[in-house]
Amino acid sequence: MASIARSSLLRQVASARPAFQQSAIRAAAFHTTARRQLLPPLPLNDAAPVPPTSPSHGSYHWTLDRLVAASLIPLTVAPFAAGSLNPTLDAVLCATILIHSHTGFQNIIVDYVPKKRMPGVRKLFIWGLNAATAVVGLALYEFETTDVGITETIKRVWTA
Amino acid sequence: MAALRSSASRLLGAAASRPALRAAVTPAAVRGMATVTDGQQQHQAASGEKTNLKTFQIYRWNPDTPTEKPRMQSYTLDLNKTGPMVLDALIRIKNELDPTLTFRRSCREGICGSCAMNINGTNTLACLCRIPAESNADMKIYPLPHTFVVKDLVPDLTQFYKQYKSIKPYLQRDTPAEDGKEYRQTKADRKKLDGLYECILCACCSTSCPSYWWNSEEYLGPAILLQSYRWLVDSRDERTAERKDALNNSMSLYRCHTILNCTRTCPKGLNPGLAIAEIKKSMAF
Repeated sequence: MASIARSSLLRQVASARPAFQQSAIRAAAFHTTARRQLLPPLPLNDAAPVPPTSPSHGSYHWTLDRLVAASLIPLTVAPFAAGSLNPTLDAVLCATILIHSHTGFQNIIVDYVPKKRMPGVRKLFIWGLNAATAVVGLALYEFETTDVGITETIKRVWTA
Repeated sequence: MAALRSSASRLLGAAASRPALRAAVTPAAVRGMATVTDGQQQHQAASGEKTNLKTFQIYRWNPDTPTEKPRMQSYTLDLNKTGPMVLDALIRIKNELDPTLTFRRSCREGICGSCAMNINGTNTLACLCRIPAESNADMKIYPLPHTFVVKDLVPDLTQFYKQYKSIKPYLQRDTPAEDGKEYRQTKADRKKLDGLYECILCACCSTSCPSYWWNSEEYLGPAILLQSYRWLVDSRDERTAERKDALNNSMSLYRCHTILNCTRTCPKGLNPGLAIAEIKKSMAF
């Protein structure tokens, strides 16, 4: 209702204006969704801003990602290759999987929930992920200490 | 005189029902950049040689009529009278069929990077992309994906150039040259720049990168990172540490997930994916 009234009002106003303003008003009336400033505003010839250096979100984070991912391969193979169950190895495997999935999801959130456009949603997602990781960590701890452990579970479930 | 002739031919073209065959009707009147000589045209018209028609579907959007949605417009050309590349066809369309068609072009030999566009689903330079003669399928031509469109095939590359400026793409030195004349470099050091300096900044790779689509405000994208690496490995540059610090955050460099669309699409055959991997490797601890 409001939008209809506004567009007719705009048209009345537009009749008294020069042609280039009219076309701009028509363009404004055409946009039904809210306008968002996706790109940095003018002036055009300034360099894009360089974010502050933070290795913990940059190079250290990336290196940790790679080390954790690479260490998962031997950790996954070792218990089955050795044929024996070592509770320490099991705990290390659990912790590594937890870190691996946490940083993986973190990457997805950073990719798809941009801080600039939706800072609130970003915060929600990051804290949601932290909470989920904490819950899974606690559950894995309980599973490891009071039950059979993850390697033994896979061994029992795996019937191939 | 030439202007008169071309406007007359345009009128003729508007009147003709099949514009692609119009050249045969008025053989001497039209002389676009992409056409073969008039003599050959006359010969073809006389011998009744078969025409090789190809339809080009081109993205059209006019900022003067912003309420009109973008549309695909079809143009049919006779390939026997058109040059081999897509740019030849575009220039011929603009000259002979529709002067309102807008696109960037300059060198027509793949060194300026102006005519970057999305042709049949691949970002490439129109001047380096052959019109496939073996298939009769329509060619679809769009502006570079996920860019703001200025008009028709012209994308807004403002952010791309701003990001290029932000990496300081020039030699930064504090110490003067040893001989007081020029900054010398060994042959091995010079060799490191091969495959990097050839980049013409056409933005084909950056606009093919999904990571750049989602995060172009902060992620630099393959083209700019390739240039970053070009200055990082330059033995004459003395600000390597500062350059690395500028990339060391979550967005600028590390949004690259090795999708490698950049390497696949590069019309100059460069490898931005490898350059980014080298930067990451050199910054890991």
